[in-house]
Order: sequence, then C-alpha cells, then structure tokens
Amino acid sequence: MLRFVVRRLLLLVPILLGLSLLVFFWIRALPGSPATALLGERATAQAIEALNKQYGLDKPVHQQYFAYVKQLGSGNFGTSQTSRRPVFEEFKQRLPATIELAVSAMLFSVLIGVPLGFLAAKRYGSFFDQFSLVASLLGISIPIFVLAIILKYVFAVKLGWLPTVGRMSVLINIEHPTNFYTIDALLAGDLEAFWDVIKHLILPAIALGSIPLAIISRITRASVLDVQNEDYVRTARAKGVPPRTVDGRHILRNALLPIVTIIGLQTGLLLSGAVLTESVFAWPGIGTWLVEAIEARNYPVLQAGILFIAVIFVLVNLLVDLSYGLLNPRIRLS
Amino acid sequence: MSIAELESRELQLEPSAGGLWSDAWRRLRHNRGAVIGLVLVGTFVFVAIFAPLIAPEDPRFQDLSRLGGSCCPGPSADHWFGIDALGRDELSRILYGARYSLLIGVVSVAVGLSIGLVFGSIAGYVGGAVDSVIMRLTDIMLSIPGFLLAIGIVAMLGPGLIQIMIAVGVTQIPIFARLIRGSILAQRDNDFVLAARSVGVPKRTILSSHILPNAISPVIVQGTLALATAIIDVAGLGYLGLGPQDPSTPEWGTMLTDTTRYLQTAPHLAIIPGVAIIMSVLGFNLIGDGLREALDPKLRGRG
Repeated sequence: MLRFVVRRLLLLVPILLGLSLLVFFWIRALPGSPATALLGERATAQAIEALNKQYGLDKPVHQQYFAYVKQLGSGNFGTSQTSRRPVFEEFKQRLPATIELAVSAMLFSVLIGVPLGFLAAKRYGSFFDQFSLVASLLGISIPIFVLAIILKYVFAVKLGWLPTVGRMSVLINIEHPTNFYTIDALLAGDLEAFWDVIKHLILPAIALGSIPLAIISRITRASVLDVQNEDYVRTARAKGVPPRTVDGRHILRNALLPIVTIIGLQTGLLLSGAVLTESVFAWPGIGTWLVEAIEARNYPVLQAGILFIAVIFVLVNLLVDLSYGLLNPRIRLS
Repeated sequence: MSIAELESRELQLEPSAGGLWSDAWRRLRHNRGAVIGLVLVGTFVFVAIFAPLIAPEDPRFQDLSRLGGSCCPGPSADHWFGIDALGRDELSRILYGARYSLLIGVVSVAVGLSIGLVFGSIAGYVGGAVDSVIMRLTDIMLSIPGFLLAIGIVAMLGPGLIQIMIAVGVTQIPIFARLIRGSILAQRDNDFVLAARSVGVPKRTILSSHILPNAISPVIVQGTLALATAIIDVAGLGYLGLGPQDPSTPEWGTMLTDTTRYLQTAPHLAIIPGVAIIMSVLGFNLIGDGLREALDPKLRGRG
C-alpha cells in the first residue's frame, strides 16, 4: 500500500511541473507587458528597462521559469493587484466558503443519488426506473446557472422560503475562527445562526449538486444492474442470506467501485461549477474571487487561483485512487 | 457442404443487416428518446437557419417606450415572450440566439474534434515516446477542470465570440485525443490491418482508410454529446460576461447575465432563455445516447 501511495505521489511531480509551465506561459501570453501594467502606458524606456531588470524579466525565458518555480516552491504566489494582499492569503480566506458549498452539494447528491440509482436498478423497467432515467437526463441537460436562477426565482423570490444571496444574514453576528460558517455557528453555540447558515446553503448546494446527482444515480443504477446478476449474489440468495444483507454486503459493496470513481471526479468538477453557482448567489468563495479577478484583469489572482484549483483537483483524484485500495483488495496487491 | 452453401447460409443468418449506417439509422428511428432528440435539434437548427424569416423583429431593435415605465412587460399578444429591459422583443432575440448557440457549438466541437483527431491518431498509431508525450500533455490539460481552463483561455485571448469558441474547443481536445487513441489501439492489431500491412499498404493509408473509419463511431457519439457540453459551457461563459462584448448580441447565455436583477418583476427574461438552452442541450444529449446504442456493434442487427 505504501509503495502504491509513493508511486502515485511521484506521478504528481510531472503533472505539477507541466501545470506550472502551462500557467507560466499563459501569463506571458496575456495582452500587455508586466512593465506597462505596473508603470502605465507612458513609462519611459529607461524605467521599463530598470523594472525588467528588477524583476528578472531581461533574463532568458528558461531562467525566468526556474525563478518562477523557485518562487512557487517558497510559497510566494504573488500579490493581488486590487487588494494588494498576498494571493495565498485571500485564497485561504475564501476557500472555506467554497469547500462548505462543495461538501454540501456532494452530500446532497450522494445521499439522494445513490439510493435513487439503487432503487431504480432494483425495480428495473418500472415507472420509477424510467422516471429516474428521465430525471438524470434532465439533470445533465440543465446548465448549473440556469437551474440556480430558476431555484432562486421559485424558492427565494416567489415563495420567500429561503434567502437569495450570501452565506449568512447581515443581522447575525458571530465570530469566525474557521471561516466555515456552519462550524463557526456551532462553536459559538448559536443554533439560530446555524439554521440561518444552513438556509443560505440549501439553494446553492442543490444547484451545484444537480449534475453530480444525475451522474451518480445513473452510474449507481448501471453498476447495481451489473452486480446483481453475478454468481455470488445468486449463491448468497440461494443459501438464504436475508435480502437486506445481500443488498448491503453483496451488491452495494461491490457496486461501489465505479460509484466512488465518479464521486471523486465530480468533486473535482464541482470546483468549476462553483464559479457559476457562486456568481448567481453572490457566494463569497473561490468562484466569485476568480470572476472578479477576470473583470479587473487581476492576473496574479487568476494565475494562482487556477493553479490552486488544478492542484486540489489532482489531489482529490489521487485520494479517489487511493480509496480503491481500501474498497478493492485486488488492486492493493498489484 | 460446399463453400457456396456455407456462404448462402451466412447470408440467410443476417437478412436485414444493411450497412452499419442504415442499420444504425433504423435503430435510431425506433428509439423514442432519440426521436424526441431529433425533433428538438431539428427545430433548433430550423430556427437557427430561418431566424430572419420567422422573427417578428430585428433582435437589436430597441424601443424604450414599450417598457411603459416598468421592467419589463411580460408575454402579450403582440410580444409572445415579452419585452426585455432595453425594450427589445424577447421572442426575436431567442430565435436569433439559436444561430449563435448552434454556430458556437459546432465551431468549438469542430476545433476540439479536428485537433484531437490529429493528435489522438498520431499517438495511437505511432506509439512509443510520441504517444507518451501526447498522453502526458492530455493528462495535464485534464487536470484543470474544463470550464476553468476555458476561463483561463478567455482571460488570455480576451472576451468575445470567437475567443469563447476557441476556448471551449481547446478544452475538448484532450477528451477527443484520448478517445481516438484508445479506439485506434483497439483497431491496430485487427486482422484487416495486418493484411493491409502485409500487402505493403503505406502507413498513412492504413491509418486513414482502414483504421480511422472503424474507430470513428465512438467519436461520433462523443461529438454529439460534446455539442451539448459546448452549448452549456458557452452559455456559462456568456453568463459570466466573457461572451460577445457587444451587449446587443442575442446570445442566450449573455441574455441571462442581468436577469437576476429583474427576477421579482420580470422572471420571463430569465426563464425563457434558460428553457431554450435546456431544450437544445437535451436534444443533443438524447441523440447522443440514442447513437451510442445504435452504433454499439454488440447490438447490431437487432431492434
């Protein structure tokens, strides 16, 4: 197991290097040079030259790239052009909001998607099965932001049951030691605040969770259909194992592998869905941070932000691969 | 039994199986979902082509006096889909919007497909170090979620219609490249390839006229589904304000951008373009699913 982990971690190195290379050249392909961005259009030739020298921009490209990687390695990701604060600091401050949203969306889609797919497979061909197929097709055909707008209209504007924007009502005041508002509210022991935070989470989480929900239920259905005709399931039934145990231990456990893969993949994709969801609900997370950065042409934020998200995405996929080993002893050995 | 008898026997076993395509088409027609998909996409394409003939007004024509002091009048007999915040006829904008969505979808998938096709077939057929390099490159591209990669590319190229087509196309390159490579690897060791090679057919001809035609059906399925994804992604980029910079362009995603402000008084402005996007995406998804079943060789000759 340890060797497997180490090998997978080593495979990360080329991917990360490639990513940094991509981002490095991307930032150099952006319109306008850094010198004119800092000094303005009317800067003198000497001033530009001095600045290029100061930031090492007069050196050959490969040296610039090594300097950039070294800088990344020492944890320096640049400064935001709008707030003048270190990019990593802003990222750390905003990340909890996005994680809170993504985890809620994933909980929603797994808790509903897996049972939905399982029941559909058990009642293969029934009305319920047909319904689940149509629902999941609709789920992947509705763009996240369209669903978000519709949900917002129905439940927030029309019915007024849930709040329209933000993470918490402005009237509530609690300390934010972790920036995970649900945890903060519980730490403060303020149940009213906790309920308020949950209410703010519901609509964005449903909107963001809709696509994973559709895909998870579809994969669960297919996977359970595959597994439930296996010999060992028939054997278990024949020797009189209670149906509930067969469902849980023989079918679901073996059907879990593709489901976990898809959950992992979708968790990574939630990060990009978050950009749109956050923008509809004015959610102060990574997504709105990036959108604001695009509007303000705040390149350091964009550059670092995309790099961070890619790293998270790769790490999540690594975790998924590692979890195979736990779920499937056959992989652990090879 | 003579050889002639054996042959006639085999012919009897497969009476109805025409070519791959006529067979697939027959099965597609019997698939209820795919038929609905064809109707949706057919309508979408029809509207896109004939928008100037169907639309009651120029989609850019503004008449603020029609707003009547509030935003915004809902559906009425004169304006079936209502009036938008700048006094334009929403129906005309939706109809013209079909042109943009279709154009953007087709162009971006064409970009992704053609570049992916080139790299994927080189990787699959040449193999070795070339294959490794191309596959690692796709790994890196796939390690950034597609929509974010598109945002990054738009930031680089600047917002605009052509830019988002390129951006969405580029995000699809690695998907097509991998698919085609896998498909070619599966075909490469087939007997007919060996036969062609042994009679001295040049590598390039083997690839283009023996392997690719046989490897193409998963690509067609993916291409159809990619059109759906492309329409969603493009609408998303438009919604974020990265699409056409001329705000009068009737692109569906861009049309949704400001509507959240008017949700209270003019929900139709958000819901109608939303439904238009959903219908076109649903159509392509239904056809893609239908094609997947219709082109599956395991199911050939049935249905």
